Amino acid sequence: MTGRSIVLKDVCCQIGGKTILDIPTLTVAQGERVAVIGHNGAGKSTLFKLLTGFMRPAHGELQVLGRSLSASLDAKQWRLMRQEIGQVLQGLHLVGRLSALDNVLIGALGRVSGWRSWTRFFPAAEIQRAEAALQQVGMLARATARADQLSGGERQKVGVARMLMQGPRLILADEPTAALDPTAAAEICRLLVDAAAGATLLTVVHNPALLPVLADRVIGLRQGRVAFDLPTQQVGDRQLVALYKPLANEPPAHWQLDLPVPVQKEKRILQ
Amino acid sequence: MTNALGSSGATRLSGRLRFLGLALAYSLLVLACLWSLGAEGDLSLGRNPLANLAKTMAEFAHPSFLDIWFGEARLEYRSDDGTLLRVENRQQVEADYLAGLARAAWTTIRIATLGSLLGALMALPLAVLTARNLAAPRALAWAAKAVLDVMRSIHTLVFGLVLVGIVGLGPTAGILAIGLHSMGTYGKLFAEAIESLDMAAIHAVQSVGASRTQVFFNAVWPSVLPQFVSSHLYIWEFNIRDSTILGIIGAGGLGLLISEATSLFQWGRLATVLLVVIVLVGSFDAMSRRIRRALS
Repeated sequence: MTGRSIVLKDVCCQIGGKTILDIPTLTVAQGERVAVIGHNGAGKSTLFKLLTGFMRPAHGELQVLGRSLSASLDAKQWRLMRQEIGQVLQGLHLVGRLSALDNVLIGALGRVSGWRSWTRFFPAAEIQRAEAALQQVGMLARATARADQLSGGERQKVGVARMLMQGPRLILADEPTAALDPTAAAEICRLLVDAAAGATLLTVVHNPALLPVLADRVIGLRQGRVAFDLPTQQVGDRQLVALYKPLANEPPAHWQLDLPVPVQKEKRILQ
Repeated sequence: MTNALGSSGATRLSGRLRFLGLALAYSLLVLACLWSLGAEGDLSLGRNPLANLAKTMAEFAHPSFLDIWFGEARLEYRSDDGTLLRVENRQQVEADYLAGLARAAWTTIRIATLGSLLGALMALPLAVLTARNLAAPRALAWAAKAVLDVMRSIHTLVFGLVLVGIVGLGPTAGILAIGLHSMGTYGKLFAEAIESLDMAAIHAVQSVGASRTQVFFNAVWPSVLPQFVSSHLYIWEFNIRDSTILGIIGAGGLGLLISEATSLFQWGRLATVLLVVIVLVGSFDAMSRRIRRALS
């Protein structure tokens, strides 16, 4: 199974007759760290939805962790597959009324079944694992705090701990640092990369400064097509400017002229 | 740009004019009510309101239960010529009355408790149908919403009057009346609780590969249950207050004693009954508020 984590062949996705994703071929090897970048609506989230089965392609072949998604899978097979895919989404995806520890234990739902998973009386071994996961992200002291009382950064750390608990082979992180301040964003990225050791890590990011931390390979999506697919060190200003260049049918936003150097953008705001 | 600016100015002006118009219409309605009632001669306070007020207040200030300790042990009723008609032990009479009052209060609590539970149980399936985020079939959702709205708009007393005619006098009519009316309120609050569910959290629990039952028990239930319990306590509290009056129409409980005392102008006894009502409602309020705060 150490071969390929994700294989896409001639995958095409349409909504209301409009093509939103069209990828002739794309392969991600097991253990690879890949970042997906592109403007809003470029197809990044669509790609993630395809991989988790929350959306179906119009045609094409899709393989995730050795399973072909094009064949019709039943609900149980989808669940088995989702258990192996860890997701870290933009904040606010914890169950607000449960404690941080209970939220981490949700990651164990794939392994625990029956009344224990309904009443949240998890086996002692799972609770220990959850505490270890919280320790790893530095949140053990807040284990009993309710999720809706945590700060944005703390929530995201609990999200990472839940993913650790799940022990997935493929990790999908959709803008894991959105709505976080730069320090917290850097910390979450570091935790995410540590947590992803051995697994495939696929990230959507908007801040080019985080690319070297999160990925060895960068895929640029533009209008549903792969614009470039390069090792991180080869991605420079030229590629980024071309990728974020305004689309033909929309006027250029003033900040887009400043890309890709984020510092300049901040300067402009400060003036 | 200038066009847009001008139109927003006009919108603001027309908004203010509309508010002014509403305020004017409201004042006119108030004046019409006052003037017409005055013209019909119905706006009077009676013949000697002050004396009546003083008399009533004096009796209120002497609640009947005080007689248990301070009443005459041997109150003699004599006819005009002095023959002894009857001897009454005021202390014993009022002690018996208080015991009856306790029984009536217990009946009121039973009516409110069972009626609230009945209303909540009947409202739950309708709330599931009306909650917009669950997207039940349109026709069913409308029908459920219509039922809830109708129930909410009919007063408990009206339900009580009709039900006394159907199931007879007694607490059963009270329980059903409370249940039917509060069902409308329950349905609305339950649906709101379901609508405020955090779908992102549910999606996240699904994405770890949880089954439907696991998603329900780990994401839906913990978010919705505290809100359900909180609204249940709130309406239950309301119904305790509501059911104190149901006895007036013969549905059992404290209301019967209230109507008895008012018909006989026994303001001292009414004061006793009202004290019990205040203590009952007040203590239940305090208890439910404390639990609801702990739940939030």
